Amino acid sequence: MRTPRILLLTAGLLAALAAHRLAPAQELDPRILEVEQKRIAVVEKVKPAVVAIFARGGQGGGSGVLISDDGYALTNFHVVAPAGPTMKCGLPDGVMYDAVLVGLDKVGDVALIKLLPKKEGDKFPFARMGDSDKVKAGDWSLAMGNPFLLATDFTPTVTFGLVSGTNRYQYPEGRGLLEYTDCIQIDTSINPGNSGGPLFNLDGELIGINGRGSFDKRGRVNSGVGYAISINQIKNFMGHLRAGLDADHASLGARIEERSEDEMGGAMVVTSILEESDAYRRGLRLGDELVSFAGRPMANANHFKNVLGLYPKGWRVPLVFRRENENRESEKREILVRLMGVQRQELGAPTQPPGPRPRPPAKPAEKPKEPESPAAKLYEAKAGFANYYFNKLERDRLLAAFRKHGDFTPLAGDWTIEADGEVKKERASLQFTVKQSQDGDKDRHIVLDFKVGGVGFQLEPLRRQNIDVLRQPRGSGGLPIALYHYWQLLTIGPKGFEGDFSHGGHEPFYPPAADMQADFSKRRVDCEVLRTEHVGVTGKWYFSLKDQMLLGFEIQIDREDDPCEVYLSDYKPVDGRMLPHQIEVRHGNDRYGVFTVKSYTFGNK
Amino acid sequence: MSSLRCRSHSRLTMMRRRLSYLFLVTCSLFLAAAARADQSLEKVVREVNSKLAKLYGSGGYKGLAAYGTGIVISPDGYILTVASQMLDTPDLRVHLADGRRFHGKVVVTEPNLDVALIKIDGVANLPYFDIIQAAQRPPAEPGTGVLAFSNQFNIAVRDEPMTVQRGVIAAYGKLPLRRGVFEVPYKGDVYVIDAISNNPGAAGGALTTRKGELLGLIGKELLNSLTDTWVNYAIPLHAQAEGMRDDKPVTVSLVELVEQKEKFKPLVAKRPSYEGPGGYHGIILVPNVVERTPPYVEDVIPGSPAARAGLKPDDLIVYVNGEQVGSIKVFREIVDRAPPGTTFKLEVRRGDKLTGIELKLEEPMVRTPVKKSSPPDKPDK
Repeated sequence: MRTPRILLLTAGLLAALAAHRLAPAQELDPRILEVEQKRIAVVEKVKPAVVAIFARGGQGGGSGVLISDDGYALTNFHVVAPAGPTMKCGLPDGVMYDAVLVGLDKVGDVALIKLLPKKEGDKFPFARMGDSDKVKAGDWSLAMGNPFLLATDFTPTVTFGLVSGTNRYQYPEGRGLLEYTDCIQIDTSINPGNSGGPLFNLDGELIGINGRGSFDKRGRVNSGVGYAISINQIKNFMGHLRAGLDADHASLGARIEERSEDEMGGAMVVTSILEESDAYRRGLRLGDELVSFAGRPMANANHFKNVLGLYPKGWRVPLVFRRENENRESEKREILVRLMGVQRQELGAPTQPPGPRPRPPAKPAEKPKEPESPAAKLYEAKAGFANYYFNKLERDRLLAAFRKHGDFTPLAGDWTIEADGEVKKERASLQFTVKQSQDGDKDRHIVLDFKVGGVGFQLEPLRRQNIDVLRQPRGSGGLPIALYHYWQLLTIGPKGFEGDFSHGGHEPFYPPAADMQADFSKRRVDCEVLRTEHVGVTGKWYFSLKDQMLLGFEIQIDREDDPCEVYLSDYKPVDGRMLPHQIEVRHGNDRYGVFTVKSYTFGNK
Repeated sequence: MSSLRCRSHSRLTMMRRRLSYLFLVTCSLFLAAAARADQSLEKVVREVNSKLAKLYGSGGYKGLAAYGTGIVISPDGYILTVASQMLDTPDLRVHLADGRRFHGKVVVTEPNLDVALIKIDGVANLPYFDIIQAAQRPPAEPGTGVLAFSNQFNIAVRDEPMTVQRGVIAAYGKLPLRRGVFEVPYKGDVYVIDAISNNPGAAGGALTTRKGELLGLIGKELLNSLTDTWVNYAIPLHAQAEGMRDDKPVTVSLVELVEQKEKFKPLVAKRPSYEGPGGYHGIILVPNVVERTPPYVEDVIPGSPAARAGLKPDDLIVYVNGEQVGSIKVFREIVDRAPPGTTFKLEVRRGDKLTGIELKLEEPMVRTPVKKSSPPDKPDK
């Protein structure tokens, strides 16, 4: 035991020396060490999902984060904009992957890309998304990415800091793009190269995508004020992004301003409104006071702009406004408004300053000069899409899932639907027949026989005719044409819609409820959307995200008018195929009718 | 911040002797607090925000923000902020944390403390910081974790909560207020923090501990014009300033100003004791063509004090009395105002060497007529 003691003594001396130098460390509260350990563990856990993005041809780059095991990753639009449709991505495992642009949200500065696995079926590490509505000023946050493109082995840089504010609004940067709405403000260091990288909470959940800072006199480096796009906003656009769309943001078609500067408490009042806007058609008027919008109270201009930024164009969101009636009593009303677009100048929406139309993303059609990326075969250019290849992918998946409820392609002949119900609160039966005949190879004749409440008429949807004829019967917005489109979708599918047949991302849908007074948020069902166009008539089809059951559709005959809304429910099998037996038809603010289907008759093939 | 000189009271110096220990304990306390729950920090952030006000006044042109931040210091609507051009308006607007809007009136300004007091009318029971009580705590030690609250960049409007940043007190002491380096009227101790609080509109915001206890007011945007770096500092609640009042030298404090409010009598700044023309040296410098032209000697008048001291053309004057002079402007500010008889120790670079030179100013040569008012007096700000 002698020798060991000397050794121990020496060791003891060293330990004492070490202890002397590190003495204060031992006084640290064990809880601090625990928190530090937890933080280190979180960083280790999420690190593999952080992406370093390089534009092909060395034109800069940025960061990103993987959000699924099949290689989908989020980043900023301004990171991929100079890169074109394909890029290179490095992961912290040190491996460089090819990647392709999938979807874009230019106004929101978001892009979805997809990394290609080295071997088919290889899984990627990915980050779990959190709920950014739960983030509060004073929370801690971790930003990861590749600032100044420091890491040549793609190991991300971690910065740690405070959430300085939430629900921040930052004006667009140039040409109406890169508008940061409802974003998270952080004092966590954000520098060039961090763009597109993830912001995590201390549980390692993805709460935002870092992309911007308030820079003033220090140049474009950390100024203590950085902004991350909230992940909840991105979730609203996720369906659009995955469907390869070049998604647009929303406007209301009305200008909302705070009532006079000196008044106490800011009332948000409609100061101008477009008559073509859906908000106007739903009843919003000059001078009305906005109470809430999409469920959020409206007390200042930022609140309003934040809500608009959260949703893609075309979404319907509830809006509550207040107006004084003749008796000078204040009345509250809730309406559901379809949001207009921002980018593709819709009838000169007043909320957007006039300016040149934003150009499409950097020359997608041009062939890259360097050897073509293997990712290029996953890219297909088409106007209105970031990458049409992914739209086809999503559309076909949706269609296949929908057909599982019943394949009607073998029944592509005459159909008759008979139903009982009521129209405008009076009992009425309905009979609808599609008859088709073919002259030779080319000319297809379609005749619709429509009878409701004892009044019948015939329509030939393929013939050029007055729009008012197509919109019959009055108050329905064009029910026979809507049912004809439904028949087209079921029996013919994509070939029946020569104008458009594409995936339209995700949208909320509001099926009628027994209690129509119930607020819209309780009726909301999130759906996948299919967009169609046939003989200039457009349609939007709403499939439940859960099982791709068709919950309803809208057929718009006249752009200046509301669509015919058809709500489908009470699905029952007919010859082994599921068909709705409850059909409700709405147009504008009113219900046209509701019908219970007695029979579906399929004629000759 | 290495150039920061910490000349503080002896009590503080004593405390600093035990720094390493205290420092770490403070650190660990803060970390432990952070560890316990973000929830508590979130609560602190909410509470502090309820006692802050957004200010809107004059400005808006390059480099001068038309917005700022203030701290509510009484339930009946007194608001403390930093004295700035922003307040120089008949239409000062104040937005409280609950979104209510008021017109504010500046009731006291004390440039020597660099603070101003604003009053809004028609309010009661506002959440507020009790400055007098808060100032009874000793100044926070370097190493203390802090939060900086302000409406920098005017990010928040109406009832939206302001920006909160976290940092650590890097130093407590005086800024090196040399000419041409930092130009602020307040010469007392400041907190220097590592949070980037030096942004437009942050001045007048609150510096608090991580528990939300008020430590001071975030200072102005301050540039070290020698290094082109910005310093993040805050004026402590213990701020004091010296000056003249009723022809007597006095020391006033921020606490005094808060206690006396409208009754507080601002100081008359100490006037330079000598107001005549500067002493004669006989140095002719190169033409002052750019903002920071280095003080190169172009020529020396024969027989002048400079000639006798041995200054030569092409000498570069680097230091005057140990103070670095980076530009002709700074050199003139120091030397041209000094009365005859003043002796300066110059360090000049000649070739590769620094040479020490003693320069004694003489009575000015006969310049007629000497108008007393010829150089317009700068207003004391």
